[in-house]
Amino acid sequence: MDAFFVSVEELFDPSLKGKPVVVGGRPNERGVVSAASYAARAFGVHSAMPLRTAYKLCPQAIFVDGHPERYRECSHQVYDVLRSFSPLVEMASIDEAYLDMTGTERLHGPPMRAAHKLHQKMKDQTKLNCSVGIAASRLVAKISSDQAKPNGVLWVIPGQEAAFLAPLDVRKVPGVGKVTEKNLHTLGIRKVGDLALLDDAFLEQRFGKWGMALAGKSRGLDAGGWFDSEIGAEEGPKSISHEHTFNEDTADMAQIEPTLARLCEMVGRRLREHGLHARTVQLKLRYSDFSTITRAQSISRATQLDTELFERIRELFRHNWKEGAGVRLLGVHVSGWADGEQQLDLMDEGRHEKWKQALAAADRMRDRFGESAVSLAAGLRGNFRERAHENPVGLPGKKK
Amino acid sequence: MEFTVSKTDLVRELSLSQGVVEKKTTIPILSNVLLEASSDRISLTATDLELGIRCSCPARVKKEGAGTVPARKLLDFVRLLPEGDITMKFLDNHWASITCGRSKTRIAGMSRESYPELPQMPAKIADIPVKTLSSLIARTQFAISMEESRFTLNGALLIIRPEGLIMVATDGHRLAFVQAGAGESGQVSQNYRALVPRKAMAELVKLADSEGADAVATFAGDDNHLFFQVGHRMLITRKLTGNFPDYERVLPKDHTLTARLQKEEIRAAIERVAQFADERSRAIRVQFTTNEVRIFSSSVEMGESEESVNSEYQGPDLEIGFNAQYLLDFLRVIAQDQVTFELKDQKSAGELRPAGEGVSDQYRYVVMPMRI
Repeated sequence: MDAFFVSVEELFDPSLKGKPVVVGGRPNERGVVSAASYAARAFGVHSAMPLRTAYKLCPQAIFVDGHPERYRECSHQVYDVLRSFSPLVEMASIDEAYLDMTGTERLHGPPMRAAHKLHQKMKDQTKLNCSVGIAASRLVAKISSDQAKPNGVLWVIPGQEAAFLAPLDVRKVPGVGKVTEKNLHTLGIRKVGDLALLDDAFLEQRFGKWGMALAGKSRGLDAGGWFDSEIGAEEGPKSISHEHTFNEDTADMAQIEPTLARLCEMVGRRLREHGLHARTVQLKLRYSDFSTITRAQSISRATQLDTELFERIRELFRHNWKEGAGVRLLGVHVSGWADGEQQLDLMDEGRHEKWKQALAAADRMRDRFGESAVSLAAGLRGNFRERAHENPVGLPGKKK
Repeated sequence: MEFTVSKTDLVRELSLSQGVVEKKTTIPILSNVLLEASSDRISLTATDLELGIRCSCPARVKKEGAGTVPARKLLDFVRLLPEGDITMKFLDNHWASITCGRSKTRIAGMSRESYPELPQMPAKIADIPVKTLSSLIARTQFAISMEESRFTLNGALLIIRPEGLIMVATDGHRLAFVQAGAGESGQVSQNYRALVPRKAMAELVKLADSEGADAVATFAGDDNHLFFQVGHRMLITRKLTGNFPDYERVLPKDHTLTARLQKEEIRAAIERVAQFADERSRAIRVQFTTNEVRIFSSSVEMGESEESVNSEYQGPDLEIGFNAQYLLDFLRVIAQDQVTFELKDQKSAGELRPAGEGVSDQYRYVVMPMRI
């Protein structure tokens, strides 16, 4: 989707159209830019940049709060449109998806026609612009959709992949970030074409296994990590986490504990959405001086209940917090999914069952009335704005 | 301080202190053993501040006094010495010289001044045969919670009554309850209940093993500590604080289904089948049908297994999931040949006991099922 968050905001406030818009929060707030309109990008504003930096670069920009619920809702609409084109759809992030179009020629016609149909239908049904990249591999499709922006369609004809990629900066290759880019630059490699000329063995020696993947990618092949899996092969998340940065550092328990409770609720909600039970709970704690600790605890009975997560997290916090020290950021992270079998509790089974039902009811209320419709009493005072992020350009995609 | 002691005596008493001594040295002196010599004995003290042990053995004391040396290093070294007498002499710099035959060694020690004092034993509450104590522990300690955060479950409840002793341990998933009749429980002068930490229980068993079969432990307790004196040795432990769960509420009262089983048969069958259970959850399915109990396991990576054993079971068919390890823990420690497995339904606790008059109330093991 093109400038997804901004486009969604424009649907709700058409006066934003064409203006420099920064989504993510107020210019004097802590936190980062979630998304920037094309007009704002012209000033050098980009997502993941601190809001204050964005303000310096473009003081005239309109700063708006993010509305994750709106984006999720629109993302669902986008998904519905995509599903009507192919049964194999993989949402790589909130605003990005891969479709396997194999075998749909008789239904949708040749690639270009299908893409235009999709492009038009997306506009009709969601009122949003998107860009479509067509290719024989996911990697090239991803890059070509990026090149097609804004609001375009680009087909890389099979066999032309290397020629298409060669003039592009290495940074355009998903997975090549700041560090790899720098390493490649020191080797004198600036364009994907330079990369493709290198010997595989050299890359492997220099970058290990990742080098082999890089060699494949430079030729337009799906290689390495996430690109090795099939479209639509649901893997599910490996961990779930939520974090919150305070607007001002705090050592006030009346602010810290409700925030932890709120984070546990958000994590618990997603655990239940995915039908997962976590065995490991981890607290992330960043002090004013940016020193950061993480402390984890394993639980004998895997859980998806907010209350149980909170009990653990609060304990971890109380044990590990340097009392009185200012806290900048808190995070709750869960992992280690348990399988279907679940050990029942001797003493707490009744209480456990009741919480499970209560939270299931709370989830249904949130589905209907929004995320803040209902909350644990402990988390009431920790109500902060949830942040959402578009998929950064350099990453292949992240599961929702 | 200077004394001469036989190697055998020293090694035996030092070994008992090893389980107590801090392995992770947060406070360096806690990895040391305190040696004190007076008249014709030396005493050895080790503590981690939670648990302490004091032992003694005869010695020829040339000069009375006290000093501390690293417990592990001392034992490792003394073990290698030839049989015979060992002479230890503490020097002004707190080091100790050890001479034995043609071996001469100096070991770095620390002043006894900073060694913590162990509390004094208050008035006796009971005299308990060590055999009884160690049998109660052996049948409950596996059910103690390994989760450190559940600190009230990191030990067992010990109830001392003139009618007999009771010990209960649980980790929230299963509960082991044992009682000893008045005949085995020794002399009890008052009712008492306390939570005994896991580590103390393990050391008590070691202590009991090193004593004769008829040895008796003198038991006492103050506000914070429990004391077990056996001959010349004393184990002192801090009590666990907090409320132990109401175990009587957990012990089921309304089982409807009972299967009687040969312990060896069912144990061996579960051990084999459990090889193919999921490694983490250890889940097995147990199916009760007329005159037969069948056990199943399956794991995506490894395969599956099933086995059946005969049983006098007459109820309706019931399939229920359990953690195999929990069942084996019980089946591996009971002395009797026959067990009963009592159940209500798929979601309620099952109960294992030794079968037979007079024994079935002495040992009760309640296990919550797994959802299958």
